[in-house]
Amino acid sequence: MLSVSHELRRRLVGMLALGALLVAGPVFAAPSAKPQRIMSLNMCNDLILLMLVPRSRIASITYLAHDAVDRLMPGADRGVATNRGTAEELLLHKPDLILASPWSSSVARRLGKQVNAPIIEVETAYDFEAIRRVIRQIGSAVGEPARAEALIAGMDRDLAALAARPAMRPLRVVAWTGDGLVPGRGTLTDAIITAAGGINIGAKHADNSTASFGLEELLAARPDAIMQGMGSYDAPALRENVARHPLIKRFFAGRQIDYPDAYYACGLPQTAQAARQLADAFARVPRGGPRW
Amino acid sequence: MSRLLWPAAILLLVAVMLLSLAVGRVWLPPSAMIDGLLAPQPNLASLILIELRLPRTLLALIVGLTLGLSGAVLQGLLRNPLASPDLLGVSSGAALGAVIAIYFGLASVFPLATPILGIIGALIAGLVTFTIGRGGTLTLILAGVAVTGLASAGLSLALNFAPNAFAAFEITNWLLGSLAERSWSQLLLATPFMLAGMACLIVNMRALDALTLGETQAASLGIDLDRARLLALLGTALAVGAATSITGGISFIGLLAPHLVRPFVGHQPSRVLLPAALFGAILLLVADIATRLIPTDQEVKLGVLTSLVGAPFFFWLVLRLRRTSP
Amino acid sequence: MTRLTAEALIVTRGGRPIVDGVSARLTGGMFVALLGPNGAGKSTLLHCLAGLMRPDVGRVLLDDSDLKTYDLRSLARRRAFLPQSPRAEWPISVERLVALGLTPQLPAFGGLPVAMAARVTEMLAQVDLLDRRDQPATTLSGGELGRAMLARALVGDPDMLLADEPLTGLDPRHAIDGIVRLRGLADAGKLVVASVHDLTLAARFATHIAMICDGQLIAFGETATTLSSALLSRAFAVDACISGAGTPIAVVDFVAR
Repeated sequence: MLSVSHELRRRLVGMLALGALLVAGPVFAAPSAKPQRIMSLNMCNDLILLMLVPRSRIASITYLAHDAVDRLMPGADRGVATNRGTAEELLLHKPDLILASPWSSSVARRLGKQVNAPIIEVETAYDFEAIRRVIRQIGSAVGEPARAEALIAGMDRDLAALAARPAMRPLRVVAWTGDGLVPGRGTLTDAIITAAGGINIGAKHADNSTASFGLEELLAARPDAIMQGMGSYDAPALRENVARHPLIKRFFAGRQIDYPDAYYACGLPQTAQAARQLADAFARVPRGGPRW
Repeated sequence: MSRLLWPAAILLLVAVMLLSLAVGRVWLPPSAMIDGLLAPQPNLASLILIELRLPRTLLALIVGLTLGLSGAVLQGLLRNPLASPDLLGVSSGAALGAVIAIYFGLASVFPLATPILGIIGALIAGLVTFTIGRGGTLTLILAGVAVTGLASAGLSLALNFAPNAFAAFEITNWLLGSLAERSWSQLLLATPFMLAGMACLIVNMRALDALTLGETQAASLGIDLDRARLLALLGTALAVGAATSITGGISFIGLLAPHLVRPFVGHQPSRVLLPAALFGAILLLVADIATRLIPTDQEVKLGVLTSLVGAPFFFWLVLRLRRTSP
Repeated sequence: MTRLTAEALIVTRGGRPIVDGVSARLTGGMFVALLGPNGAGKSTLLHCLAGLMRPDVGRVLLDDSDLKTYDLRSLARRRAFLPQSPRAEWPISVERLVALGLTPQLPAFGGLPVAMAARVTEMLAQVDLLDRRDQPATTLSGGELGRAMLARALVGDPDMLLADEPLTGLDPRHAIDGIVRLRGLADAGKLVVASVHDLTLAARFATHIAMICDGQLIAFGETATTLSSALLSRAFAVDACISGAGTPIAVVDFVAR
């Protein structure tokens, strides 16, 4: 009888210990696993950060983020401090994790040593595969891999729904705003156009850069539609002047697609929605090319 | 010599204008151009020729005439071979006026706002330079530098408070000076002002000649000096102000053109005026054609090209003056 | 005959009178030598008489009409003015320089009519610059430039010539030639007023002397009677000995007092 009790007692103690660990574990593990004072030095990273962690864990995001947040997720940055990437702010906020970009990482690296915080350099996402990489990278750095995967899953659902649409004849478009520069191959705009089922005729160059594309070239290329970025820049600018060029008004009336700049500036899960909106806009473009 | 000069110059101008119509980022073979023009329906060739290259060519012609003429008149009025609208701050004032019109939204409400504010900016700048700069070459050039500095400060302020990074880039880009993508409506908007300005400038012919003898003798020959100065200032402001509001900053044409024609027509100011205008047009057209031919990814801006060629010439001029002055 | 009358002219600068109550009656046929120490106000007076400067008080009448009432071009046709040290600011040819004197007669646009071109040639011959007609004016010597400027002043056949120190800087030969020409103009009926520093030449060739001291006209009259040692002593603080004033062989010797 006593030998059986010993066995049982050992198992009970084991189960109790296990139970205690399960309850107590997270309480002891949390401070070392998840950063609580995250500082982001790049606008695109700001937005992803806001989608992954509660505001209380953010030390500061860049001052540039606010406009984009207003358009994409209004109110999400309420109460969050902003920074301009200066050394003083870094020392003031004393982050325990710094999210940097290829441009800001050298400054961050130098100063991060002083506050003893790890620095994560996040690439700029130019296509959907890169968006997945970036979200996973930031997700694991801030200790929210599950939420990161959820965001990616949502984006992939949107993309799948887009791909499942009945195939349309691909539309030849260019994102042209009249200052002579168009996004070429390897840009995010290019990825969105392709995902929406269009052909970006600005992609005549192999590299990532934008190319010169004047009115003559535009006419010679004869796109089915012209995309123009709207929404971020409310102030009057020269662009509007040239975009209202009589030739554009005459031959591309009804063939101009406005797209929300905010969705094209950073690689985000919402980028898939932008591709869906673009596909909807493509469907509304009249058949046949511009009339001349 | 001068018997042959005029027909030769006009022929050169016509040739350069035809070249300007033939050249562009999209190559149109002459046969395609002719077919396109004759076809009843709009087509690529006719669109490019009539809607893009023709207004651009005409704009280059008129702006070139304007700049060459105002340079010649200013040099005659001030008896100073270094005088020109850009060196006297008039062009900078015009640029500031135009930037204010565009970026404060006036231009989208009221299209005439851009040339008018350009003219006002040019007028104020010219007035200040003329008033402060009385008393010799040095004072005049320094006054011009000061006014240009002031206008640049204003432009820097506009850049500083630009609503967003893109607007700042755009202002800077516009200031570099260009004739690309200008439309018929812009040409028609600015041309009346430029023509009015040129008329004011040409009327001054006799006064400029008489000023060869200095202000006292000119006055004794019946010249109303105040009226001459006023017409020159007004004409320059109208012409250069309107031109700059469309093209952005294009410099050195007004300085260069009179110097290039003097070896052929002599130094008498009235004889320099019209040839300088003609040559200004030829120079600007050639520069504009070059911007379309230079095989860079981004189009070289017209103002950049004229500066690159004009600045060394300015150096040469200063050195030559140093040698000949006491 | 041309009549130029100054009535109580006063010009003040910075509170001081530069020309202080000058009145005179000048007529065609006179060659008035304007004499006086440096800074006496001769230049300012000449500018007022020419209508290039408005006096603060008083007026100048040309043929009994105030100069103010003449329009600039008709006045320019009747009166020629040569300032001190005239220069050409652009290297135009001598012929074109002389032709500039015809500006008041020319319309706003257009070249020189043939008849006027002949007049220019005639003028160049008179001042002996015909062989230099195509030379840039800026390359002329002092005497040649002086003659060219005089030709410029006279090509329009004005009734009056007012010249500010036209002989300054010329060598003796050119100075004599210059003043002989001025006297010749007066003899032909024109009114000539010129400020000179050479007392001997003034004594020989001027018909009238006007002495300006501290802005005031202290003497005006025919050379023979007006030019006296007392006057020179008072004006220049020199002891002078004058012989033959008003004749072609006049001599003025002087020593500092």
